[in-house]
Order: sequence, then structure tokens, then C-alpha cells
Amino acid sequence: MACVSSSRRVCARAQEKLCQLLVVKNNAVRPLSSPSAGGTVVLSGGRYAPFAARKYSSQVSSSKGGYAPWLPSASAIFYNPDPGSPRHQLNGFLTLSRTISSARQFSTAFRAESEYSHNYSKSGSVVTSPKYSCNKPCTNTTHHSCIRTYSSVHTQQPAGPVREIQVDPYLLLEDDLKYIYDDIRKLLLQASSQMELKTISSYYFDGQGKALRPMVVMLMARAVNYHMNKESGNLLERQRQIAIFAEMVHSASLVHDDVIDNSDFRRGKPSVNVLFNHKRVTMAGDYILAIASIIIAGLKNDDVTIILCQILTDLVQGEFMQLGSKETENERFAHYLTKTYRKTASLIANTLKGAAVLAGAEESLSELAFQYGRNIGLAFQLVDDLLDFVSSAEQMGKPTAADLKLGLATAPVLFACEKFPELNPMIMRRFQEPGDVERAFELVHKSHGLEQTRFLARKHCIEAIRLAQEMADSPYQKALCVVSDLVINRMK
Amino acid sequence: MLSKLAWKASRQLSVNLNSRIAPILAPSATHRSQRGICTTPKVQERLATKQVQKHDWNRAVSEAEKIVGYPTSFLSLRWLLSDEIANVALHLRKLVGSNHPLLKTAKNLLYNGKNTMQAWGLIVLLISKAAGHAPTIPDMEQDKSAGVLHSQRALAEVTEMIRISHLVHRSLVNLQRGTEAERDTSTYGDMTFGNKIGLLSGDYLLGHSCAELAALRNQELVALMSSAVRDFAESEFVGDRDEQNNPLPSKPDPENRNKRVEDVDFNDDKILDPYDIQSVMGIPEKEWELRHILSAGSLLGKSCQGALKLAGLPSDIQRRGYLFGKHLSLAWQTCIDMEPFQNPSSSYDGTFSLVSAPVLFHLEYDPSLYDEIEKGKVSVENIDYKKIHAEVLSGPGLEKTKELQKKHISAAMKVLDEFPENDARQALQNIILAMQDL
Repeated sequence: MACVSSSRRVCARAQEKLCQLLVVKNNAVRPLSSPSAGGTVVLSGGRYAPFAARKYSSQVSSSKGGYAPWLPSASAIFYNPDPGSPRHQLNGFLTLSRTISSARQFSTAFRAESEYSHNYSKSGSVVTSPKYSCNKPCTNTTHHSCIRTYSSVHTQQPAGPVREIQVDPYLLLEDDLKYIYDDIRKLLLQASSQMELKTISSYYFDGQGKALRPMVVMLMARAVNYHMNKESGNLLERQRQIAIFAEMVHSASLVHDDVIDNSDFRRGKPSVNVLFNHKRVTMAGDYILAIASIIIAGLKNDDVTIILCQILTDLVQGEFMQLGSKETENERFAHYLTKTYRKTASLIANTLKGAAVLAGAEESLSELAFQYGRNIGLAFQLVDDLLDFVSSAEQMGKPTAADLKLGLATAPVLFACEKFPELNPMIMRRFQEPGDVERAFELVHKSHGLEQTRFLARKHCIEAIRLAQEMADSPYQKALCVVSDLVINRMK
Repeated sequence: MLSKLAWKASRQLSVNLNSRIAPILAPSATHRSQRGICTTPKVQERLATKQVQKHDWNRAVSEAEKIVGYPTSFLSLRWLLSDEIANVALHLRKLVGSNHPLLKTAKNLLYNGKNTMQAWGLIVLLISKAAGHAPTIPDMEQDKSAGVLHSQRALAEVTEMIRISHLVHRSLVNLQRGTEAERDTSTYGDMTFGNKIGLLSGDYLLGHSCAELAALRNQELVALMSSAVRDFAESEFVGDRDEQNNPLPSKPDPENRNKRVEDVDFNDDKILDPYDIQSVMGIPEKEWELRHILSAGSLLGKSCQGALKLAGLPSDIQRRGYLFGKHLSLAWQTCIDMEPFQNPSSSYDGTFSLVSAPVLFHLEYDPSLYDEIEKGKVSVENIDYKKIHAEVLSGPGLEKTKELQKKHISAAMKVLDEFPENDARQALQNIILAMQDL
């Protein structure tokens, strides 16, 4: 929910005031609250001095109620100034999902995790390893041994120390992100002399996107710079190019996806394939990619180029994986998670890593950036798949239940499959027969699939927060923690 | 001198080898090659070194392939064994029987016809060997036996990957709402599926070419090759198009006849700057050059330039590499353009590119033909190709195209003359000479 889109950012300041009032109100409404969410803010002058103005969001929450590992952090409420809005309904939904906790849920999620991590370790180990020596060692070391071995996210309970300062990442990066779409458009417009190519290629750079990827890249860049005491304008400008690259590659993949899926709407407007010749749209996608690589080449850093090019191969391999499906349930979930990593998380993970490498980070730090991005990316896609079932087309700006209609079995369906085995044949025939989509939709809602998906997403977010906290304290590092809340609580 | 002798010896060896393989491949060739073995050493020598007297195309190419080690055909074993390609092949089989243009592209790539035999990777390797490399290149980087660098071989592969990716992306079907293809419900399913496979395979090639380029650790090269991809994309937007994006020539404008325009070409320093396309439209020769530099010459030129960049050669020699590649690909294009008009019989019933040089030249000579072209605004299939074929044959189009070919061939030859004399240069010259007779 809290994905403050660029248009909303304008009134974000006004909201801040409102939110201060609301914190109290919401605490009264909330039935559960994490004990760890209590505590006061300790602002240590010096480094934070310029930031004292943002103290508004420091909050004290009462620690009544039991312990719940999946509690949304306070920021979820922080961003919801209007309790009557549709966003509030999600809060209700969350509360509901929180109450349905069972051992079964845990076991399912963990089994999924274990297959997943197994799969990863086979293919070059993307598993988070506890080797980070960055700033401070992780304080919480009481893991359950089996979880420790199998989980790819190494959930630590609870979500770590309280986030003293609630920062709005978009507000924090206002200057960095303000012109990002303008800059991309300028690049695309100047590199061609063909009107229609310019139009198609800049179609999705109209500033209506969430700019999540550039935002996370810039946050990580600044956090890493802070961590290494490397604040220089030149470095940031170069890292900003990576943010631009991230958004361009993302859009190029959207453009090609639109042709493949023949979609109607995206971001609340007709998608490109509706308006333009498909062959030209395809070429425009290639064009965006070409310009993006020229930009990366301009950084003159071999390692960064290699890291970023990995994204492209991952993206395509992810698409290929989406074409096929696996027979057995276990294989299917691993397949789904690998696909999700390649299609979504790889872009975020590798761009963050690139930004860190550009700052001259040593391997453990760049790996931390990568793992943070991977977890955020996975959580983001899991929530995306979830929203496909619960959100309305109006909110999303694109049709819902779209995945089912495309024949794709995402996490909610795969989870639901455990309770309703009748979903299996439907998955195998890719929901082709009449009534399949409606039936599957219904079964998913009857099962715990949605809660389990959210739970898995939350686990990735918690891991992301843990990783972020290993870096030196800075507003940007704090904002990285907030981002994970934005990801889990978003409505579109 | 010693090396020359060694070269001749290896040459004879390869001829012998060839004669052993030839009977297996083509029984009809047995007789000739057996004679080759039996003849006196003198004759044998002539066969081996006085190359290609008849400028036989296939021979020129196969000789050239031996010079650089092994052929770099893109369909290498490594490639065929990759998971994704196996996947694509599987899906392509589902398409067999439909008339998705992707199948035709795939077929053309597998069975090298005369026209599709554009062994671009081979050209890149040959120019690499012809130009040699800077003495600073470490031994480890070199493929001593073939005389090219490993990085250049990788670049040759990237070149072919980018080209095929473009060909594949070009063979999608436009299914935008309201088009004829979209309304045809009997084929819609096949077309959607074919588009999906085509788009993904193209992206796969593009993604992998980026990754391979990155591994070469030369950022200038990455920018250069990316700009070639940009040019490919741009080429699909030039001028009028029908619903399926087939190009139509621009309307002939009599005023253009006297207009002088400088040769269009890239500015080496500003890789992001595009051509000024509008200024050349309607001038047959320039329009033709522009279209085909964007859709072919740019990639081959920039690949040759990139190969010399990898060899650590100075930028003026790199520039020569670019010019060679560009002119060679344009000369090649004239061959392709002329082919449908080579057969003088009037009963021609195929199609050909409407922006081919003979047609463009004829439109300048007789603008009234444009009325026929205009019928193709929705689909080029509505055009009476027979009529255009006959008209072009009766006009000066073909003659002018031949002149154009000569121009580019001699330009390519001239660049070649500046390289040191060696077997690779000779092979390139042979290929060009053979091209004339295609």
C-alpha cells in the first residue's frame, strides 16, 4: 500500500503531519503488536544532525498482545492516513491472516524454502551465508538448527531491533529520483531520428511507474557509500546510471511481455501492443535495451557490465521457464521460485550489487547488497502474485487474475494445491478448459494459499531487513528497511 | 619464405583432406577430386594456391573457413546443446504446418541458400587475421594456429547472434487489433504462439550476446556493438510500411534528382547520435544505402571495427575495418537485390523487396510505377509483383544496380589493399570476386 507513487509523493509531506496523529489511533485499533516494536529513539547527533528534522516518525508503540513474527511494521500504518480507504481493508485482511497460524503453515513454507534453497545451492549458491563481516555481526544467533540449514532466508525472529526512524525513501531520494524519467526519455529521444521509435520506446517512461527499482538502487548506493565513507558526487552520478539502467531494462521487458501476453492495460493505460504494430514494439524493446547497454558501457567498469548483463540472460531464462511446467508438486514450487528469481529478483539483486561494486565495495558487502536485492525482489514478486488474486483491476492499473488466464500457476495456487489436489490437473493443462480460471480462483480463496504466500514474502522481507541492518547506520540504511515494508504492504 | 612454404604444404594437405571428405558428402564430386590427387604436383599446386579462378562462391567460402581454423557457423554444437535452444526447437515443432514466418527464417538459417549464406562471423575472423594484432597482445589470448585471437572468435559469434536475433524478431507477425492477421481467427492461435517463441528466442540471443560481449571486458566494444543493435531497431522504422512492417519505397520526388547529399555515415565519436534519415529519403542511391547500412552494414562494419579494436590496433586502422565491413555488406546486398531479376524470363512469380536497388532506381526513372506500389499500403501482397518485375527489367534499374555494386566492391577492395598481404586478405578478395558472379 505504501508505495507512494510519484504523484502521491507531492502530498507526502502533508501526510506526515497526519500520520503523527494517526500512530496513536492505529495502535488502538491493532490487536497485536510486536514487543520488539517498543522502545524509544536514540538520536546520536553528528551524523544524524541533518536528519533530525525527520524525527517526526519516531514512535513509541505499546507492547501489549502476543508475539507475531509476521507483523507489519509500524510503517504500514504510518502510510495509511485514511482509515476509510481501500487500503484499510487490506489491514483487515492482514489481521485476519495473522490469526490463522498453524503448524501446517509453517511446515509448508519451510518445506518450500528447503526445496528452494537446495535448488539454489546447486546452481551457484545464491543462498545467504552468514559470512558477512561488514559492520557488526548479527546479534541474534539463536536459530533453530533445521531452519538454519534449510531456509534460504534464515528468518530471524523477531524482525530485529526496532527501526527508530521511519523514513520515506521516496522523500529521502527526492532529488535523485526527480528527473530519472526525464533523463531516460531524453536518452531515448536523442538516440534515434524516427518519430515512432521515440514514441514507443518512451511510452512507459511517463512518470506513472512506481520507480521502485531506481529507488532501491539509489538507496543501496547511498547506503553503501555511507558505509564505506565514500560520499562523492561523481560516484553517485555513476551509480545513478545503474538506477537508470534498472528502470530501462525493466521497461524493455514490459514492452516485450506485452507483445507475448497480448495484454490490454498496464499502469492504467492501454499497453503498447494495443496502440502500435507488434513488430515495431518488439524492435522498440530491443532499442531500449541497446541504449541501456551503451549507458552501462559508459561506466567503463568491466565487472559492473558483467554483473548487469547477467540480468538479461536471467530474464530470458525466466521467461523460458514460464513456458514449461513441472509434473510433481515439489519440482513445481522450486521451478516457480527459480523462475521468480530470474524474472524479477535478479534485476534488483544484480543492479544493487553493481552499485556496490562501483563504489569499490569488497565482496562481502557487494554480496550483501545482492542478497538484500534478491530477498526484496522475491518478496515483491510474491506480493505481486498475491495481489493478482485480491486486488481490483482499478487499483492495479492492469487486469487481475491475469496470471491464471495466462495459464500460470503462481505461489497462491501452488499453496492451495496442497489442500485441493483437484487443482493439479488444472495446473497441468494451464487452466485452458472453460471454468478452470474461475474454479481455481475460488479454490485459492478457500485455501490458505494467500496467507501462506504473504508469509513467505514476509520472511524474505525480514531477511532483507536483517541484511540492511548489517550496514552502517544511516538514513539510507534505515530507508532500506522501510522499503521492505513498502514491498510487503503495497496495494498496487 | 619458410612460412610461405609451410603454408603451401598445409594447403595441399587441406586439399587432400577435402578430396577424402568430398566423396562422402557429394558422390558426384568424386571424379573431379580423384583427378586432383592423381595429377602431378605442379597441377596440384595450381589447384591449391591459384585460388578460385572461376570465382566459385562455395569454394571461396570453404577455402576461407579453413584459413581461420574452423567455421564459426552459429549453429555450433555448444549452441545446439543449450537447454533453451532445445526448448525452442521443441516448440518450433508445434508450429510446423502453420505458416508462421518464423519457420521460414529458421529454415533459411539451417539450409544455407545462396542468399542467406552471409557468413558474417567468417568475415570478422578473416579481417581479424588479415589485419593482424598489436605485439602487446599476450600469447595466451591467441589462437596461434588460426591466427586470430580468442576474443575475436567470441566477437564473431556475437555478431552472428545479434544478426540472427534481429532476423528472428523481424519474422514476427503483427497481431495488432484491426490488422488482417488479427482478424484471421483460423491462424490466430498459431501466430500468437509463434510470436511468443520468436520473441523469446530473439531475446535469448540478444541477452547472451550481451553477456558474451561483457566477458570480453572492453567497454568501448560493448558500446559499439550495442549501437549496432540500435541501428537494427531503427532500420525497421525507416519510411512507409505496410501492416506487417514490410518496407515501401518513399514517393519519388523529381526535385530530389538534383539534390546533392553528402555520404551518410556514422560519427565515430558520438555513438549515440543517429543518422539524419529524412534528408536522404527519396534519393534512390542514398535511401538504399541508408536503409541497408542500418539493417546490415552497421553490424558488419562495427564488428570488423570491434575485431581490430580487440587486436589493439590504432583507431585509423579500426576505421578501415568499419569501412570494409560496411562496403562488403552493401555489395552483398546488391547481389541479393539483383537475384530476382537475373532470370530474364518474363514469367516471374515470386516476390522481392520493394526497397531493393533496382526498384528504387526504376522509380526515379519512371515515377508512375509508384501507383502500383501504393496498392501495398495495407499489405504488400496486394501488389502486382509481375508487373513491377517486368517494368524494372525494361528500365535502367538493373544496370544502375550493377554500377552500385561495382562502387561498393571497389571501395571494399581498396580498403583491403591497405592491409598487409596474407592468406586471409587473399581469401577476402576471393569472396568479393566470387560475389560478383553470384
